Amino acid sequence: MERKRETKTGELIRRFKYNKSAVFGLVIVLVLVLCAILANYIAPNNPTPSPPELFNSLKPGFWSEDGIKGMPLGTDALGRCVLSRILYGARVSLSAGFVAVGIAMLLGITFGVTAGYYGGRVDAVIMRMVDIMFAFPALLLAIVIVTVIGQGLSKAMVAIGIVYAPQMARIIRSSVLYIKEMEYIEVQKAIGSSNWRVIFRHVLPNSMAPVIVYGTLMLATAILDCAALGFLGLGAQPPTPEWGAMLSKSYSYIVSGAWWAATFPGIAILFSVLGLNLLGDGLRDILDPRLKT
Amino acid sequence: MMKSKIWLVLLIAVGLICSTTLVGSAAQAGGTLVFGSSGDAVRLDPADVTDGESIQRMDNIFDGLVEYKSGSTEIQPCLATSWETSKDGKEITFHLRKGVKFHDGTDFNADAVVFSLRRQYDKGYLPWHDYGEWAYWGYMFSDVEKVVKIDDYTVKLVLKTVNASIMTSLAMFTVNIVSPTNAAKWGPDTFKHPAGTGPFKFVEWVKADHIALEANDNYWRERPKLDRLIFKVVPDPSARLMALEVGEVQGIEYPDPTHFDRIKSNPDLKLLTEPGMNVGYMAMNTGYGYKDANANGVRDADEPWVKTPGYFEPLTKKKVRQAINYAIDKKSIVDNLYKGTAIVAKNGMPPFMLGYNDDIEDYPYDPQKAKKLLAEAGYPDGFEVTLYVMPVSRPYMFDPPKIGEAIQGYLAAVGITVRIYQVDWGTYLQETEAGNHQMCLLGWTGDNGDPDNFMNVLYGPNACSIGTAGNYGFYNDEEAQDLLSKALQTYDESKRAEYYQKVQEMIHEAAPWVYLAHSNQNVVFRANVQGYVLHPTSRKFFYPVWIE
Repeated sequence: MERKRETKTGELIRRFKYNKSAVFGLVIVLVLVLCAILANYIAPNNPTPSPPELFNSLKPGFWSEDGIKGMPLGTDALGRCVLSRILYGARVSLSAGFVAVGIAMLLGITFGVTAGYYGGRVDAVIMRMVDIMFAFPALLLAIVIVTVIGQGLSKAMVAIGIVYAPQMARIIRSSVLYIKEMEYIEVQKAIGSSNWRVIFRHVLPNSMAPVIVYGTLMLATAILDCAALGFLGLGAQPPTPEWGAMLSKSYSYIVSGAWWAATFPGIAILFSVLGLNLLGDGLRDILDPRLKT
Repeated sequence: MMKSKIWLVLLIAVGLICSTTLVGSAAQAGGTLVFGSSGDAVRLDPADVTDGESIQRMDNIFDGLVEYKSGSTEIQPCLATSWETSKDGKEITFHLRKGVKFHDGTDFNADAVVFSLRRQYDKGYLPWHDYGEWAYWGYMFSDVEKVVKIDDYTVKLVLKTVNASIMTSLAMFTVNIVSPTNAAKWGPDTFKHPAGTGPFKFVEWVKADHIALEANDNYWRERPKLDRLIFKVVPDPSARLMALEVGEVQGIEYPDPTHFDRIKSNPDLKLLTEPGMNVGYMAMNTGYGYKDANANGVRDADEPWVKTPGYFEPLTKKKVRQAINYAIDKKSIVDNLYKGTAIVAKNGMPPFMLGYNDDIEDYPYDPQKAKKLLAEAGYPDGFEVTLYVMPVSRPYMFDPPKIGEAIQGYLAAVGITVRIYQVDWGTYLQETEAGNHQMCLLGWTGDNGDPDNFMNVLYGPNACSIGTAGNYGFYNDEEAQDLLSKALQTYDESKRAEYYQKVQEMIHEAAPWVYLAHSNQNVVFRANVQGYVLHPTSRKFFYPVWIE
């Protein structure tokens, strides 16, 4: 089954193309990635000018005559270009998401494969630990971890990675449980392959499909949680342009009419999460054999 | 049948007319005022609090021996009708007002005065002394030796040394008079059930929601015009303003300056504003404090100068501190982040106070000069430093996180990398009082209008005690302490002014602080609220207020 899928990449791409929302998601994600990579070249201004240009504080963007030329989405309270900060923020948010999910995958795969493959007491201990971690709401647990290991963007990434690891472990364990009963695994064991060889050459590659799907979906929630930690002041530290922090520093100005400083980072979060979710759903549709039509 | 119906109609009509006129006259008498506060009270014992929210409630429940005149820090008689000071200035005799009753029915007399004060300083006055921390007594009244009852309506205050600010300090909430029988009734829980002699009586306290007071019909002055006064907690400034706009509350404190245009354009609201008695600053830890072993608030000979936990080599150098003063554009911060609701500060106390040194020339914004000074001090490439940034708005700094970020930007321009550190407010105060910070944002609102309440409490070497520091720059020039003590022990105002001016010069030269701003104090009311007068200390007195 796996082999057949791999040899039919063309078919997968064709099916992906028919899934309009997935294509839309992919386009958004590609745009985000491009923004993140090219931020230096396309951002009209320095996202953290030094010394700060306070005299530009909370100026509107292109829609108003009071706006400043070259700052199309207006400025925040410290007079910084909102557009430039959002573009640089894409870099921060995406890398935060990827690192967090990377950590979650590393931990989740290690524990999930160990539990699933060896079974028995090892499985019981690992999975009860996973159950305990599931008892906490994800964001709350992340806040606890950040409180213990300290604030900052890199620590927030680690915290979110740890929080997401149990989900990953559970997903991969279930596919390992299924795969290890397969005949080709029995054959490997019969010819005396070591456990390491069986795991890395056969079990792991064959159980990656759900990991990729869930990893993509997780990327969306990881970005959202990073933004939430930033909003609470526990994530990215100033002056790093991070969407969640930009939102929390600016929402109080909505009442006084300066809506742009909070709205645009919010829209950026919305679209990136939407894009990744659509892409993740699309990937599941084409990779999940049960949904095959 | 028909007739009785007519009677019924008439009866109802008369009843309606009567009731409307009754309601109408009640409304004229005052009605209810709900005030939107930014936080809840901590305790309701006037001697055992340091936070403005608690004080705001209690200023309407309690009276002191003397009080401030409306809108000024001059004093006038209150529960004491008159007083005399002895020739050596060390004894003050107060004659008390007769016929005053506490809210619980107890008579006000010399015993109540002695009780209210003695519990704060007499370690042997148990159990009362153990019921509180009495922080402000140490700040302001450590020169008081004791209070003695002469007869039922006469008390004598005995001082250890002459203290020029003692009379203005006596108008502070700390020495308001509480009912001794009420304290006996509630014991350690008295702070939840306050009983004073003031214009309003305590009704209820729903934690984190509201505190309700009602008019004291037996007040020794005229009864207050309001019937009820409620302090409602609304932490978010935007939510506070919206509650005011819809009439849910009739007044709010700490409006966000970015909302001022919206407030001014609304005819239903009025903004009261005046220069505040405060200072907001960034302090740089110069490195050394002392451990106040006997907790007497003074550095004794056997208490050596030791490194503070936040000791940081570059900040011990005067040139570096001066460079940082040159590197920050205060005017731009005041214009754009304080939104013009403050004036730029060059000294550590506001300009209208006795002894303000206007001859000092402030450090201008000059990044080139800052770089040069850094190079001379041995840091041509700058360094990395931590800045503690307050998590809450205070009257002297309404948006510290933005100011912290702006300072980060200014210092980056001269090569200094600033790491911003934020913790919750309680921990923040603990850590900075212990000298853990390298640099921190803080400020002060004056309590009594006396310069000592700024200069000695914030900049005096005696206030460098690690753990209870008020001198967050740990500026420890002993000559300054000498001058500050001299200034407190003379009644000659021109002499006092001279001493304070000299100390300001010394501080300016040593530059442990970047003084940012003196903020206006702002309160917003609905347009029909009348009679409210702002007080320079930001205390809130609702006695004269009525609703039209």
